[in-house]
Amino acid sequence: MIAKVICYALNGLEGIPVEVETDVNKGIPGYEMVGLPDAAVKESKERVRSALKNSGLLFPVNKITVNFAPADVKKEGAAFDLAVAVSLLKASEQLIGVELGRTVFLGELALNGDVRPVNGMLPILISAKAHGFSRFVIPRGNAEEAKYLGGAEIFPVRNLTEVIRHLTGTQPVLPLETARFVPHARGKGSADLKYVKGQPIARRALEIAVAGGHNLLLSGPPGTGKTMLARCLPTVMPDLTFEEALEITEIHSVAGTLGEEGIVSERPFRTPHHTATTVSMCGGGNRTVHPGEISLAHGGVLFLDELPEYKRSTLEALRQPLEDGKITVSRSAGTVTYPARFMLCASMNPCPCGNYGSADRTCSCSPAEIRRYRRKISGPLLDRIDLQVEVDNIAYDDLASPGEQESSEAVKERVNAARRIQRNRFEGTGLNTNAEMGERELQTFCVLSPDGEKILREAFERMKLSARARSRIVKVARTIADLDASEQILPRHVFEAVSYRLYDKMG
Amino acid sequence: MDYSREERAIIWLCACSGRDYRACAAALREVRDPGLLSEAFTTRAEKELGEFLAALDRRGYFALTVVSDDYPESLRAIPDPPLLLFGAGNRALLGKRKFCVVGSRITPPWAERLGRDIAAELSSEFVIVTGLAEGGDCAAVAGAMESGNLICVLPCGLDKCYPAAHESLKRRIRERGLLLSEYLPSENAAKYSFHARNRLLAGLSEGVLVLSAGERSGALITADRAAEYGRDVFAFPYNPNAAQGAGCNDLLKRGAYVTTCVGDVFACYGIAPKPKKRVELTPEEERLLAILREKGEMHAAELAAAAGMKVHEAAAALSSLEIKDLAVKSGGNRYAAI
Repeated sequence: MIAKVICYALNGLEGIPVEVETDVNKGIPGYEMVGLPDAAVKESKERVRSALKNSGLLFPVNKITVNFAPADVKKEGAAFDLAVAVSLLKASEQLIGVELGRTVFLGELALNGDVRPVNGMLPILISAKAHGFSRFVIPRGNAEEAKYLGGAEIFPVRNLTEVIRHLTGTQPVLPLETARFVPHARGKGSADLKYVKGQPIARRALEIAVAGGHNLLLSGPPGTGKTMLARCLPTVMPDLTFEEALEITEIHSVAGTLGEEGIVSERPFRTPHHTATTVSMCGGGNRTVHPGEISLAHGGVLFLDELPEYKRSTLEALRQPLEDGKITVSRSAGTVTYPARFMLCASMNPCPCGNYGSADRTCSCSPAEIRRYRRKISGPLLDRIDLQVEVDNIAYDDLASPGEQESSEAVKERVNAARRIQRNRFEGTGLNTNAEMGERELQTFCVLSPDGEKILREAFERMKLSARARSRIVKVARTIADLDASEQILPRHVFEAVSYRLYDKMG
Repeated sequence: MDYSREERAIIWLCACSGRDYRACAAALREVRDPGLLSEAFTTRAEKELGEFLAALDRRGYFALTVVSDDYPESLRAIPDPPLLLFGAGNRALLGKRKFCVVGSRITPPWAERLGRDIAAELSSEFVIVTGLAEGGDCAAVAGAMESGNLICVLPCGLDKCYPAAHESLKRRIRERGLLLSEYLPSENAAKYSFHARNRLLAGLSEGVLVLSAGERSGALITADRAAEYGRDVFAFPYNPNAAQGAGCNDLLKRGAYVTTCVGDVFACYGIAPKPKKRVELTPEEERLLAILREKGEMHAAELAAAAGMKVHEAAAALSSLEIKDLAVKSGGNRYAAI
């Protein structure tokens, strides 16, 4: 008898339905798997055999053939175990009268019959739901992430015995209740702008960067709080919407970095070390194409500490995703596209010794050394970083600092207001933030007054800025005007925007 | 290019005979009329000299000897004038009034900016004489480049460039101004050649302005030579604790002219400074500028607090002042008025 069970394979974030067909025939006892399974799938043979035996079920002593269709899709991982076991039971007539046609089985089996969680559960469920499947049997361990998928019957199971009892109706498993998404479900992290002492200029730049979706470069001597400032970025970003959270969770689910929580409710903050390779940054891998750091930072912040220390090729690879908001990785195993719309925040020392511009220590670098150090970051990359500010180590005790610093919550308030203005402006254009504007949008949305135009032209002549720097400055000026709730971009907005182009001025 | 009998003799003596400076100078003193020397040339010497001069012409260089008509009088007046100089570019600049602007390689941004502006204004009356190093020298070059009234004296041969990164700058100077060197075109810079070059900077000029100098800066050697030769010395004043300006302050103590604007130099030579263009400022900018002028270099946050403004408002006004060339950012979010 032939039995057919549906399972899913993953290609990037896209689930591909796989039919597991099992045929149990008379003949010399044997157990064959065909249909392009990889090593981990082939090993399911032995896991299924033991799991059946230890669950008190019968492993047929016949000629068994398991086929994975379509045969041209490479199947990987252990998520097929449960489907193989169920189809084997069905084929060996141990599940008589049970209808399996529209149910998707996912899960890895332990030798004692337990069902273990698998990576990539959420993207599989989302794809399968889009393909019209609405009943799923999944491992209990994946229930946390699966419960956010509404509109489907999802049965979480602990072991094979539960599956059989559920299917035969002797002891049905209750379907998961759909959970409601709450941002910051796990409570806020420890980072908050109110713990950052001083740094009024950097704080302001942070606010502008988040409000307009601009990238940010913090330059300053060691120990001035660059990392601390960067860690505050997610705390002033707007709360995640459910759609965003789902999208981010999909990526983290594939990567297997999902925590206990089940869904990512906070914007990611990724800090890859500067020894990171291009593959770990952009995604890739030997057989499967794993999402890289930039995809894991999707919807959040990618923080590159000590920017000039990263390999140049790795940094250059960021340029295209920074523009497109996604990355397409090609491997012999296939081509995969992962979303990668992240905010880049980088930090660097102003010079090799780190003391250039320091209030109390002298810099021992020669001008040539400083230039060489800065040249490690290519112009095109620097060009994509709209805001470049200095973080300084002035002793703030000297300044009569009035009371406690402004908290992230207050800043977020203003950011949300600015984002609302942008949403209204870009309605129907497919854009979200000022930073995403192209030349065409700049001409429609960023008209300067004749007065402002004159000032800007003068500034460009005096400071010898490039044309690319011009559009960056106008974009930032647009965001500053939005924060000011001003319809028009006024000269003071342009001037402030100019003050954040540190490295253009240095030439 | 044609050279006179005397010039040919000196060129051969200094460039082809293999003698060092002292021996050449002694030989010249002995013969009194160098023209006599060339009459004693062997055919081999004639051939050597011919080849050398042809090579110079091919590269577009000229040789300037101590007996040439346009050899600057001010240079001839120093105790050890170079007998032979090589030049490339606008030779006519040698005949004009010359003023030297130098600074150490580590020059604070405000001094670079101010130095550049002063050099630009001075270059309407003087030919600016300077070196090719980073920092102060570059500021002087940048200021004088537009007018073309610029002489750069190299510490190496004209074929070479020190620092190598300034090759394209050197080419531009040759097109617009004049390059000078007392070394054979193929010679590299050596340790001693910087000191020797500095004596030429001072010797060529009526006065020397030092933009910045640490305690042991080469710019001080130029200033010392200038004082020795009886030329005027000018220097920017610095905060007592600023390491980059310790040398400048030392010069001031020893009687150099305190210089904060081009008028201070012009006044010394009886030249009326040109009236400054009025720049329109907003009330905020006026207020910030007044505070900056009063208190000196300040952090943007302190400045905003002193002016009773929000920091980002102050940042906008400061960047406007920067564009109007009235303030300069000097690292670590600190600003200074110029």
